[in-house]
Amino acid sequence: MDVNRRDVLKVLLGGTAVTAIAGSTAHVAKAAPETVQPLEDAVGLLYDATKCIGCRACMPACQNANGLVPDRGLSHGLYMQPNNLNSQTKNLIKLYVAEDGHERSFMKQQCMHCVDPACVSGCPMQALHKEPKGVVGWDSGLCIGCRYCQIACPFNIPKFEWYRVNPKIVKCELCRHLIGTTETQPACTKVCPTHAVIYGKRSDLLAEAHRRIKEKPGYYFEDRVYGETEGGGTQCLVLSRVDYTKLGLPKMGPESNASRVRRVTNVIYQGFLTPVVIYGGLVAVVRDRWKEHLQHVEDERNEDNDSKGMHV
Amino acid sequence: MSEKWEQCVRLKEPLLTKPFKFFLGLAGFALVLVALREVSGLGYVTGLNDGYAWGLFKNWNVTALTALGSGGYAVAVMAWIFNERKFHPIMRTAVLTSLVGYGTGMLALGADVGRPWNFIHIINPKTWNHHSVLLEVAVCMTAYVILALNFENMPPFLERMYQSGDPQRSKRALQIFHYMQKSFPFWIALAFVLPSMHQSSLGSLMFLAGDRVHPLWQSARLPLFYLLMAYVLGFACVLLVLILSTYAWDLGWDEEILGRLAIVMSWLTLFWLVLQFVDLAYRGVFELAFTFDRYSIVFLVETVLILVPALALQSASLREKPAHLFRLTLTLTIGGLLYRFTPTSIAFMPLGNYTYFPSVIEILMSVGFTALAVVVFLYAVKRFAILPASAGKIAAEAAIRPFDTL
Repeated sequence: MDVNRRDVLKVLLGGTAVTAIAGSTAHVAKAAPETVQPLEDAVGLLYDATKCIGCRACMPACQNANGLVPDRGLSHGLYMQPNNLNSQTKNLIKLYVAEDGHERSFMKQQCMHCVDPACVSGCPMQALHKEPKGVVGWDSGLCIGCRYCQIACPFNIPKFEWYRVNPKIVKCELCRHLIGTTETQPACTKVCPTHAVIYGKRSDLLAEAHRRIKEKPGYYFEDRVYGETEGGGTQCLVLSRVDYTKLGLPKMGPESNASRVRRVTNVIYQGFLTPVVIYGGLVAVVRDRWKEHLQHVEDERNEDNDSKGMHV
Repeated sequence: MSEKWEQCVRLKEPLLTKPFKFFLGLAGFALVLVALREVSGLGYVTGLNDGYAWGLFKNWNVTALTALGSGGYAVAVMAWIFNERKFHPIMRTAVLTSLVGYGTGMLALGADVGRPWNFIHIINPKTWNHHSVLLEVAVCMTAYVILALNFENMPPFLERMYQSGDPQRSKRALQIFHYMQKSFPFWIALAFVLPSMHQSSLGSLMFLAGDRVHPLWQSARLPLFYLLMAYVLGFACVLLVLILSTYAWDLGWDEEILGRLAIVMSWLTLFWLVLQFVDLAYRGVFELAFTFDRYSIVFLVETVLILVPALALQSASLREKPAHLFRLTLTLTIGGLLYRFTPTSIAFMPLGNYTYFPSVIEILMSVGFTALAVVVFLYAVKRFAILPASAGKIAAEAAIRPFDTL
């Protein structure tokens, strides 16, 4: 084995340098927390399933406000009856019934507008982005249609127009195209007859949710509001008597998946320092190897020529 | 019986053989289907849906098969970093498998994205989302193919250019090669850094999906596992290609090179398995492997397919027998590919009642992309001096000076 002492030294030095830099920047990474706090003026919805009567008035209202063609699939063309959230449906009221038939609850499904959304974190081109008030918006001019948002979203919200040549990502954008111009609130909250879903600043909605919980202790599931901390928090909050997981809301810790990915990639990349340092080290090593290789080839040729009695 | 591989040779074989036409047919058909898909929408040609938004193209052709295309990277690390000079005769083959593997992966990616016209924005870094792992994969993969792999695959082309008989072109070939030699370390180092980045990022990709990936696979160490598996599969791919080529075209059997590739691959796989088990234990999900549900069975099958050949390849007598070496490497390849495929597909658990199975058209396209890789490979080895051959077997034209240094 022709291992060169200088090379070993070089690799060791390079490795030490990387480790040292990684170590010295680690505390910086810790000092700058990866968690994203909700914006001061973040807006969202509070859906109280115990107030919802399941009239589904919010569904056609959403369709009209967003110019969507109603999905009449399950009703054989009679009226709007989508099988799930899909490219024609941004908002859906579902009914949960326990197997014994006693426990029941409605559930309003739409984009939760996460405080630190996985879809925004994953989107390669900033097509999915946070609007000024924290609304998760989609920009058709930037989306390449990779559908990573669909893989990343823990709530399985973004939908794709599978049967179009110019497909869009479809999901609730809290009527951001209307609010501030013709409307002061989204279509769904505007038409809700029982105020089961209300629109407002996230901080106000959170305070209202806690007020309701305080008013009726033991009434809501685990006396907590879904979305306060789940997955780093969501701007759309849910109250229900039924276990949230039964309503299709996944159990999640207080850290967002986006933040966990940032933590891992920050440790590996150190703000792109790692690849640069490794690249430099590799260039140094390969340069020596390359010279050595050319020398070897030259020697072999000379040997060949000598043995054949030829000189070039 | 060892016949040392000394030179790269061009096969003097007719190009349009029956297998070639077969693969060409598959590839051509797939390209027609790509054109159809571009004017119809993904739903008509694939089994994809809102629950399983990624299917064969991304999970198989990109995530799994580019690991198989990491041969050029893995062998180059052995040759240039660990200074194992014996690997130089197989470098051309290794970097060619990478080029065709990655090239067809990129093609699959192109067919898979729904709004390809917006790709144009990639030239404007202002629109990049710097937190996006997928962006990193896309940029690094493209850069790797365009900058590094093309560079590494240039010598055989320059050689042909040199031999063209036109003095002007010969001179230009020599000039380009001269520049190549001067800047060589900078490009090769790039060919190490870029695949390290995107092969590990393919793992990070699924980390963002959190609990939607079954805990047997979901781990913060996915980037490391994906990268190591890329090395393993890279070695495996080069081994398989070399063994098949030597069967098909009688190139001789360089026991030293093949045996060394096999043992390095075996050690790496065992190291991977140890890390994998430590990680499972650390995350406290070890017992999930033995619940014998769908996930546990897939996991066990995968692990056995990886573990058994890795252990068997530790035996020198098995490594020396071509048929055994081939079978064991093939088994390991299937296991490794399954591992790279599973987190994005079988172990992916969207909410709701979604199921996914690729459509016939989707399968034909996916197979066609792979066939295209074979077609380009066959074309290249019959037009350029790429495959290694031992001294007694060199009937065809061999690589010539000065290009044979690479």
